[in-house]
Amino acid sequence: MSESKGLTRAKEIYQDRPRRVKELKAEGRKVIGYLCIYPVLEMITALDLVPYRILGDIREPITKADACLPTVVCPFVRSCLDLGLKGKYDFLDGVAMAHVCDVGEKAAHIWHIYLNPPYFHFIDTPHTIHKAAQKQHKELLKDFQRTLESFVGKKLSPGRLKEAIEAHNQQRALVRELYELRKPDPPLISGTETLQVMVALMSIPVEEGNELLRQVISEVKQRKDGLQKKPRLLVWGSIIDDIALIELIESAGANVVMDDTCVGSRAYFPDVKLTDDPLDGLAYRYLVELKCPRTFREGVFGETKKDYIKDLESRFSYLKDYAREWNAEGIIVQAMRYCDTHGYEVPGVKDYFNHLGLPNTYLELDYTEAALAPLRTRVQALLEVMG
Amino acid sequence: MVSEKKKRAINRLQSMYPLRSLVDGMYERAVEVSKAGEPTAWSMVNWWEGDIILKAMDMAVVYPEDYGAVCAAFGAAPAYLERCDSDGFPSHMCGYARNCIGYTATMMDLGKIPPETPMGGMPKPTLLLSSGSLCDARYKWFQALGRYMDAPVWTLEIPHPGVKESQMEGAYEHNISFMVEELKEFVAFLERLLGRKMDWGKLDELINDTIEMNRVWHEVNELRKARPCPMHARDFWSSMPASLYLAADPKKTKDLYQKMYDEVKDRVDNHLGALPIEERYRLAFIELPPWHGLKFFDRLAERGWNFVYESWNYHPPKPIDLSKVSNPLERIARYTYQWLTGYFKDALKAEEWWGYFAYPYLELVRDYQCDGVFLHPLLTCRTATNHLMLVQDRLMKKLNVPSLVIEGDIVDLKLFDPDDAMRKAEAFEEIMNHYRVVRKEKGLNW
Repeated sequence: MSESKGLTRAKEIYQDRPRRVKELKAEGRKVIGYLCIYPVLEMITALDLVPYRILGDIREPITKADACLPTVVCPFVRSCLDLGLKGKYDFLDGVAMAHVCDVGEKAAHIWHIYLNPPYFHFIDTPHTIHKAAQKQHKELLKDFQRTLESFVGKKLSPGRLKEAIEAHNQQRALVRELYELRKPDPPLISGTETLQVMVALMSIPVEEGNELLRQVISEVKQRKDGLQKKPRLLVWGSIIDDIALIELIESAGANVVMDDTCVGSRAYFPDVKLTDDPLDGLAYRYLVELKCPRTFREGVFGETKKDYIKDLESRFSYLKDYAREWNAEGIIVQAMRYCDTHGYEVPGVKDYFNHLGLPNTYLELDYTEAALAPLRTRVQALLEVMG
Repeated sequence: MVSEKKKRAINRLQSMYPLRSLVDGMYERAVEVSKAGEPTAWSMVNWWEGDIILKAMDMAVVYPEDYGAVCAAFGAAPAYLERCDSDGFPSHMCGYARNCIGYTATMMDLGKIPPETPMGGMPKPTLLLSSGSLCDARYKWFQALGRYMDAPVWTLEIPHPGVKESQMEGAYEHNISFMVEELKEFVAFLERLLGRKMDWGKLDELINDTIEMNRVWHEVNELRKARPCPMHARDFWSSMPASLYLAADPKKTKDLYQKMYDEVKDRVDNHLGALPIEERYRLAFIELPPWHGLKFFDRLAERGWNFVYESWNYHPPKPIDLSKVSNPLERIARYTYQWLTGYFKDALKAEEWWGYFAYPYLELVRDYQCDGVFLHPLLTCRTATNHLMLVQDRLMKKLNVPSLVIEGDIVDLKLFDPDDAMRKAEAFEEIMNHYRVVRKEKGLNW
């Protein structure tokens, strides 16, 4: 294990993600890959397995996945599958996927067929947050637990599961503490550095991630050579798992001070409530509290009248809080090309930001590094509008 | 010289025409009902999960997915697509959705149904019924219509388990229980929305009639296993909306399907195929056809290509005995779930992990003895496209059946080039001939 600490350590992990889990494998630990943020990490951790998030690579041309998934679907998912087919996830002992979106679901079955890992489980996450959907989600998590137990050959006790929940909640609290350091003007940590930390957390066991976060927070708090004051931006949208876009925005003359993406606050802000039956808290958090547009939400359950602004409030009001608390002056609305769940949301979320009086711009990404450069002018135009 | 009337390339079934006209009536009825101040719904195709309930509540329903195809065929789609794009929706989204969003925006601007729109248009709905089945667009799109109109949205849930997961102890029960709970809530919601109570007796009868209607429709399609195949895909596509959209009283529709059964059975008994010439190749067509270019199939028919099966998902479910299930909502849940998961047990035995959209073709292509498969990736429909490469791969690996891939779209007419497709099809005949020999060598019986 590397001797480095804090931000340096986070950057090292970011640059060579599998290194640490491969070391752990050599020590006899098993690693479970997961796609997106819906597989329940606490169950994996509680059974002494290491959860490892499957991400893509914007620098790696997609070649092998072309034979399994057409070019008109999410390039991020295609990239993940491509890396899998090229053997770059061969170190995984198992994979857990969920019905995160249409393409994510299909990619799960394709992964199962073509990569056939020793352990595979698919969680059919419901589309709504209705009471019946929450109950169904709990049943689905029981099924997930059973297959994990069967894979490791031991039962998971509620006590052990609670310990894992506490460890992951600890991580979430530390991430929120780290994000607090983005509130000052100028922020104490850049968006680029923050993303490196987030990716690192998704690549190592939770306890090591918690230690890393403590080091990063301590280091950042003591910084003397902080950032400069610049226009403050919030970034909303599809997955960003590479620093290139954030670097581009920051190098165009802005500070990215807050995000609502799934390698960021979306994945970490909600805690799991400690309930008598831990599955209740897990089922609720992973279905209701994760705010990805893949889930259908409505202002009031079963309401027979529709009010557009109320509907937007019910879906996006947390963004108003983010913008206020982090003092964001402008918004980057970004979505991956062919990402339907975010794509349908774009005019609505822009309407909402316009309603709040927050200047915003829309960027469509195709998950390649080369295609990012032309977006700089869009960012610059937004910064000009913001004055 | 005596001029001879040109023979039709496909012997169309006479029993198809009354079934096809049922769908035209759907639009007229919705407009009339709306003018009379009665409630109407726009619904996603939901495989009878919500349709039967809406029908029992006397709601007139239209299907914007179907209307997308209508607008494409009538040339009305480009203006609606342009409107949707100019309102800031990404242009890579579903063509049907973009058409509907553009249509809705135009209708709400005008304060009435756009005057030149095809089939009399879709009236402003009282309810938007979206569905979690098969694709994200089918619930995100109706949510997005909130920008333009105040109709409430209800989203129907249907589980999509993995093949292995679906067979875990207790999985079937909790999946059905989930659907039943959701349907109870849906009925309660409708009762609040419409201010009237569900007529449970009527619902019960409608369910039975729908199941019976689809049983006959299934039997019609079973007859197509015969050589030569007595019914071409064009007749299937013309007849399927009557079932898929529950376009009329299912009792009446059942009678029409029964007439179709009789006509098809007669052809089988007399060894008559859907083509007036020798059936040289039997094919399955996978995914939605180019609605605006169906004449293309006549050109293929002239070369002896008979299309004997179509996309699994537009067919009724494998028959299931639900006569002992007394709760009507549970009967609906089990029926729709059967549609999605009816192949899963067999998929598990075959160790194929995509139980719908992909595995069914391994059974169907074998049972209908197809020489080839026509895959039609749709550039703005990911759901209809995601699985095609896998299907192509599995059919070749397991059955030595080749696929012809021709790109197109459901709304954008420019994306399907029939002349280019024809050139590829001609070359594909050699490939089908080759794999006939390969299959024979491997002991496969067609």
